[in-house]
Amino acid sequence: MSALEIQNIRKSYGAVDTLKGIDIALQSGEFLVLLGSSGCGKSTLLNIIAGLAEATSGDIKIGDRSIIGVHPKDRDIAMVFQSYALYPNLSVRRNIGFGLEMRKVPLAVREKAVLDAAKLLQIEPLLDRKPSQLSGGQRQRVAIGRALVRKPQVFLFDEPLSNLDAKLRLEMRTELKRLHQMLKTTVVYVTHDQIEAMTLATRIAVMKDGRIEQLGTPEEIYNQPATLYVAGFVGAPPMNILDVEVDNGALAIVGSDIRLPLPDRFKPIARDGARLALGIRPEALRLAPSASQAAGITLPVRIEVVELTGPELVATARAGQQRLTACLAPRTKVGQGDVTAFSADDDALHLFDPATGRACPA
Amino acid sequence: MSGSWMTTRAWLLMLPLLVVMVSVIGWPLVDTVRLSFTDAKLVGTEGNFVGLDNYAKMLSGSNFQRTLVTTTWFAVISVAAEMVLGVLAALLLNQQFRGRTLLRALMILPWALPTVVNATLWRLIYNPEYGALNAALTQIGLLDAYRSWLGEPNTALAALIVADCWKNFPLVALIALAALQAVPRDITAASMVDGAGPIARFRFVILPYLVGPLLVALVLRTIEAFKVFDIIWVMTRGGPANSTRTLSILVYQEAFSFQRAGSGASLALIVTLLVTVLAVAYAALVRKAAGSTS
Repeated sequence: MSALEIQNIRKSYGAVDTLKGIDIALQSGEFLVLLGSSGCGKSTLLNIIAGLAEATSGDIKIGDRSIIGVHPKDRDIAMVFQSYALYPNLSVRRNIGFGLEMRKVPLAVREKAVLDAAKLLQIEPLLDRKPSQLSGGQRQRVAIGRALVRKPQVFLFDEPLSNLDAKLRLEMRTELKRLHQMLKTTVVYVTHDQIEAMTLATRIAVMKDGRIEQLGTPEEIYNQPATLYVAGFVGAPPMNILDVEVDNGALAIVGSDIRLPLPDRFKPIARDGARLALGIRPEALRLAPSASQAAGITLPVRIEVVELTGPELVATARAGQQRLTACLAPRTKVGQGDVTAFSADDDALHLFDPATGRACPA
Repeated sequence: MSGSWMTTRAWLLMLPLLVVMVSVIGWPLVDTVRLSFTDAKLVGTEGNFVGLDNYAKMLSGSNFQRTLVTTTWFAVISVAAEMVLGVLAALLLNQQFRGRTLLRALMILPWALPTVVNATLWRLIYNPEYGALNAALTQIGLLDAYRSWLGEPNTALAALIVADCWKNFPLVALIALAALQAVPRDITAASMVDGAGPIARFRFVILPYLVGPLLVALVLRTIEAFKVFDIIWVMTRGGPANSTRTLSILVYQEAFSFQRAGSGASLALIVTLLVTVLAVAYAALVRKAAGSTS
């Protein structure tokens, strides 16, 4: 039995279909991240799980119980909002215990639960303050505490770190990971930040236009993107996508005379003359020691821009008419205008059908 | 540009306004204070200096005390009713339903009408011979015979309060509606997930956002209600048997009907003082409320 099961959920606003049939089954203790750009339907899905919006059709089960039509308070869920959504006139103590207070939990039990949560989140000294007296990070901890004390079956997070500055976001991300590892709770987490998704999730659902593009572990999403959208969305800088044509068992870069050997695993499916999209992650490229390298592929390029970010050197180059990016070691000796070559292992190559956007099966 | 020239220029720019303010507010106020220490009549004599006699006479007179009670009743009940009605109307108009925009526009109508029109309208409704209220109440069986609502001392003030509420609750509703629209959606959603029912949600989530704006409405409406004149003058002229006479009516009668400019001025200044005390007290409340929800 799944902890949370989403079955063919659809949501329409008039003629606009926001969700077009979402299916996800989540085991207890899983951390699912709904990842996608603005307007992809991820927050709508979260609101439907919370009961703050109604699905047009489909079913959602928590445990073995359908929660469609059930009031948010009776769904056994707790939610953390992007804006923290703390009650401004109540102290931190009452904010955290508010859900228990509304459920008429005895004061002593409530107090203990609030103290336990505060201890876990290291906000004990703040309990008697008002939300207006807290920093952004402290407010977010209070919001998490308010969810924790309820001990629900499923936690819902709606972009909880978006309002924090970069340093605090990093700290809170680690904190959330620590809490999840400690409490083993089932979480559905919405974000548009792929780093948050990669670091926190046990599984990621990449969404686009109301559909799930790919549902898999962070490793699967990163290493085996199922579609061009996923390949382009996950990763910073995004995966290089080059137009290629299959020509006599090789990949010819369109608009140049560069030919790359077609990896064996693609040979059965790449028919001669087919136009494909070749994907290579910038991190998979390195500066080739010489133009003819024994293993993998070698791609002659002209360097256009070199940017040192600190931990890496990001080189933007041209292969024929097409542009690509490589993340190189920071001390790599390369400069603007250099004519050189990038190399990569065969494993690092991905082929996509540009017509459907789907990855070619290897 | 030197600081002194900036200061001079600022005073020069403010000068026209200062001249207007001194002539229409400052001078009449100073002259009213001067008059209040004399036994001047409205026409004829300049009056002699009588010290604090006017104030003593007014404050100890039964007329003033009775009128103060009437005014307080009028202000407290009408403002309280306007607050409750206004908030209820705002909560209703904040819901999603068909025709909401039209209803919001219609609601403002009583407040937008001139007070004289509103008062005449209600005088017709209360008319003892052909008034709609009498007709409605007798037809549904709540009344045996037509009554003179404005002609009986025990119903006149209540009838005036109803008319005043009808005119002024839209202002409160408008202010409350604006405040309701500022309640963050996430906080309402969080309270629903937390299990707060409609009453708890109103008390813990919505009310804190309403308190500040409502206090402003309360200040404005209490001050207005305390110095009410026009609606009462048109509907009852302070009668019957002075049962609806408020402080402003008393000032008018003293100064213009009885032509006692000196004592009228002292009474006007007493009313001004009372309203100022109210305004200062409310301003402190507003500051406190704004501090607690920021």
